[in-house]
Amino acid sequence: MTSTTPRPTADDAPAPAVPGKRFPSPFSIETPPGAEGWQSMYPYYALLSNERREFDDGKFWFFDGMHNPEPLYPFDTIMTENWWVAVSQMSTRVWPIPLAGGIDHRIINGYLYVSPNAITDQQAIAERAEEFTRRAGHYYENWDKIYEQWVAKATDCIKRLEAIRFAPLPDREPESRVFDHRGLYSSYDLLRDYGRLIDNLFEMGSYHFEMLNLGYGAYLTFREFCQAAFPGITDQTIASMVSGIDIMLFRPDDEVRALAKLAVELGLSDVLLAEEDPDAALAAVARHPKGEQWLEGFEKAKDPWFWFSTGAGYQHSDRAWIDDLRLPFTAMRGYITSLLAGEDIRRPLDEILAERVRVTEEYRSYLPTDADRESFDGLVELARRVFPFVENHNFYVEHWHHSLFFSKVRELGDVFVAHDFLDDREDIFYLHRNEIYSALYDLNIGWATGTEARGVTYWRPEVERRKRIREALKAHPPLPALGVPPEYITEPLTVMLWGITQESVQEWLGSGDSDGSELRGVAASAGKATGRARVIVDPEQLHEVQDGEILVCRITAPSWAPVFSRLSAAVSDVGGIMAHTAIVCREYGLPAVVGTGFATTALRTGQLIEVDGSAGTVRVLEDVSA
Amino acid sequence: MRNTTDATSPFVLWIDDPSAAGNRLLGGKFGSLAEMTASGFAVPLGFGVTTAAFWHFLDAAGLAAQAADVRARARAAELAEVQSLSAEFKAVVEAAPMPADLESAVRDAYAELGRRTGRDGLPVAVRSSGESEDLAGASFAGQYDTFLWIRGADEVLAHVRRCWAGMFGPAVLTYRPEGGPDAVGAEYGICVGVQQMVEARSAGVMFTLDPVTGDRSKVVIEGCWGLGEGVVSGGITPSRYVVDKVTFELVHQQVQRQATKFGFDPQRGAVAEVAVDADLTEAPCLERDQITELARLAKTIERYRGAPQDIEWAVSEAGNLHVLQVRPETVWSRRQAEQLVTERKSAVGHVLARFAGVGVTSGGGRTS
Repeated sequence: MTSTTPRPTADDAPAPAVPGKRFPSPFSIETPPGAEGWQSMYPYYALLSNERREFDDGKFWFFDGMHNPEPLYPFDTIMTENWWVAVSQMSTRVWPIPLAGGIDHRIINGYLYVSPNAITDQQAIAERAEEFTRRAGHYYENWDKIYEQWVAKATDCIKRLEAIRFAPLPDREPESRVFDHRGLYSSYDLLRDYGRLIDNLFEMGSYHFEMLNLGYGAYLTFREFCQAAFPGITDQTIASMVSGIDIMLFRPDDEVRALAKLAVELGLSDVLLAEEDPDAALAAVARHPKGEQWLEGFEKAKDPWFWFSTGAGYQHSDRAWIDDLRLPFTAMRGYITSLLAGEDIRRPLDEILAERVRVTEEYRSYLPTDADRESFDGLVELARRVFPFVENHNFYVEHWHHSLFFSKVRELGDVFVAHDFLDDREDIFYLHRNEIYSALYDLNIGWATGTEARGVTYWRPEVERRKRIREALKAHPPLPALGVPPEYITEPLTVMLWGITQESVQEWLGSGDSDGSELRGVAASAGKATGRARVIVDPEQLHEVQDGEILVCRITAPSWAPVFSRLSAAVSDVGGIMAHTAIVCREYGLPAVVGTGFATTALRTGQLIEVDGSAGTVRVLEDVSA
Repeated sequence: MRNTTDATSPFVLWIDDPSAAGNRLLGGKFGSLAEMTASGFAVPLGFGVTTAAFWHFLDAAGLAAQAADVRARARAAELAEVQSLSAEFKAVVEAAPMPADLESAVRDAYAELGRRTGRDGLPVAVRSSGESEDLAGASFAGQYDTFLWIRGADEVLAHVRRCWAGMFGPAVLTYRPEGGPDAVGAEYGICVGVQQMVEARSAGVMFTLDPVTGDRSKVVIEGCWGLGEGVVSGGITPSRYVVDKVTFELVHQQVQRQATKFGFDPQRGAVAEVAVDADLTEAPCLERDQITELARLAKTIERYRGAPQDIEWAVSEAGNLHVLQVRPETVWSRRQAEQLVTERKSAVGHVLARFAGVGVTSGGGRTS
């Protein structure tokens, strides 16, 4: 990896932040002490460079804390690099989207910043619109069929990923390899399978964005119509008219409820309630005479429903339920306790559906003209048609596929450990995907020649160095935005996914003078709550949450659900209405403010804070000593 | 109108009488309240001194012909002349004798109201309820009289008469809203409502649509500490609460500081501006669940009446909600509905256009 640290000269000093006007230049960001050389962890094309300075400096960059709250692990850049192409190509080369270009990426101090490009030339917009109408129109008109095909492609892709296996190279090739005259041996298979693994990620990555922009666009149009017709209508209410009740993101929790019910029926409640440690609980169940039946149900539920990430699914550190059973087991104990108390733990699907019908019909009845009612009917119908994809793609891609993908990378990590390149399987994530290809070749050389591979002495110190750098970067949280904000923000993903709007940018711009006692964000879930803040930057810390606390995080994940029942409110740095998690978070009816920009750095665990989910504000009522 | 009454019509009609709901003898305002009472809404108890009583009074005093003449002359007159016509005739009305049968009917009813509410000398609100108001979409808001905290039969009678005289005030004689009925041209009568006073902790008005934007998915509540007169007369800047009519979420609130309120001043023995308790001046005059309760009430009334309404309400010291007045909303209901969508097209057409930068609605919708 090439390292190109921009070194501005004195008469060419990078622009500082101007409150209310601009954010600091990306070139003004200094490397934190101890993180020198961080650029070597990332690909050259993701770094700022003097050669592209004019371009890089003139743009608006915002921190993508939603997908990558922490400094990127070198391997995990595969996720961001994937959508750098996969999202952008849809806007520029496939549809093309009349107003939106691609989304640029830069890694700055290990943090991912992105910058959507807008199309402003009227002639170009008109030409693009013509092609877009034909191509996107085809997708909308055939949406259900194409979605069905999509599910088949995604499932097939996951099956092929599942089939990929990594194992240390054998001391001697098995005899069969000789007698079948294949002429290809384990070294070849290892490289081939690694290639397949990476291809598989990019394949799913492409499917990921095949329909997503169009889905969001249909929803956004409906949302804008509602906001114009019913000023002040909340995003939550708009979503409630459209979102499904049987979406896949609810399924893991439903499975846990079913397992709780089965446990009660089989008389396993005491066994499961007695053991907090999932492994101990499973062992205890196995010893029980009725245990086998429950374990059978458990195994069935686990695959695929426990491939449910505790994060956004973009970092390998976002472990899935299947890797760490503590979250689902905590939830299950809660459900068992409720069942024993005679409560009904089923989600009231009929009621939710009836409410959706009532809300939709009532708003419709308040529209002024027939033409408006006609448009409303059409838009709500279209939004409902696209929503199963919008909501469910998340489970297929981010949860199921990505979690499985990272588990395969760990399998490969074991290969490196077996061949003495690394001490720990997790260390593989300190290598960029292209470096892994080199390291595998190095490994093959060592294996083939029977002499020590270079990697045996090369990678351990390098991984150690990178760990130190990453720790130093992690101790320096990023600014929410850099550069010059655009006059208008129209790019649909920016608004819908990241919740970045004209208002939030203004908020960030002005917050230079704020004393930090009040934060503003998107009012995501109505209600007011006061409680102690619990700042969580790593899903590992989730187990520290105490009853009644207010969760303060970069972004929540749906799989954190078991923790939500203990919270009194939630606050996040990032997130818009369609952030991967918002859909599920709303169900818990907790006051929530999202997209505050700084909550995890401005607030500290233990502070008494007040969250107003209707006004979108968070106030510190009582400080704690640092 | 004159011909709808006959000699057998009663002078007094109770708001909860089976024949009261929508009875034209009660005028627009009070007739609506009788309808609300019949439907179980919490309307303060009272009776109407009917339009028949009004005509009986004019006839007995021999003033009917003169009344018609004053109205006819006012139609064509300049303002100065209207004012002198009005002053002259009002004095005549106030001086005219009250027929004995009518007077005793009012006295009996007031005594009965005291018995039914369990309070002798009950303070009441005396309000005009014109036949012409609230008709055909014209709001006569503020054009008729309201007298609060009236006690004793003599005072009640005196204020009934003042309400009658008020029918010939210059404002009523000349009030001709654009496109509204030619109110002064016809012979409209008046009823006077006599109702138990709600000693309001807070009160105000609410609309079952946003009066600024016409958005029907909202209930807009304006309220203040004390009697609602402050809000109605415009003397006190009310706090404002905007509630989503579908979900009852509080969409917006603007709480005003309030140093004085309208209330009964024992020293003056009348309603006056008095100080708001120091600990309440900064506080919202409605609690969150009262806001929801009011919005639900507004929605129920609108459904019941079948069109957007403008409602006067009060919350008693005990926390109970009362409906003081309901009338059809007139501004937006008369207006030609404006289409929100810029163009009729398919949903896919709208979405494709949105991607090309063309919004579904023009100018970002109802933000005017």
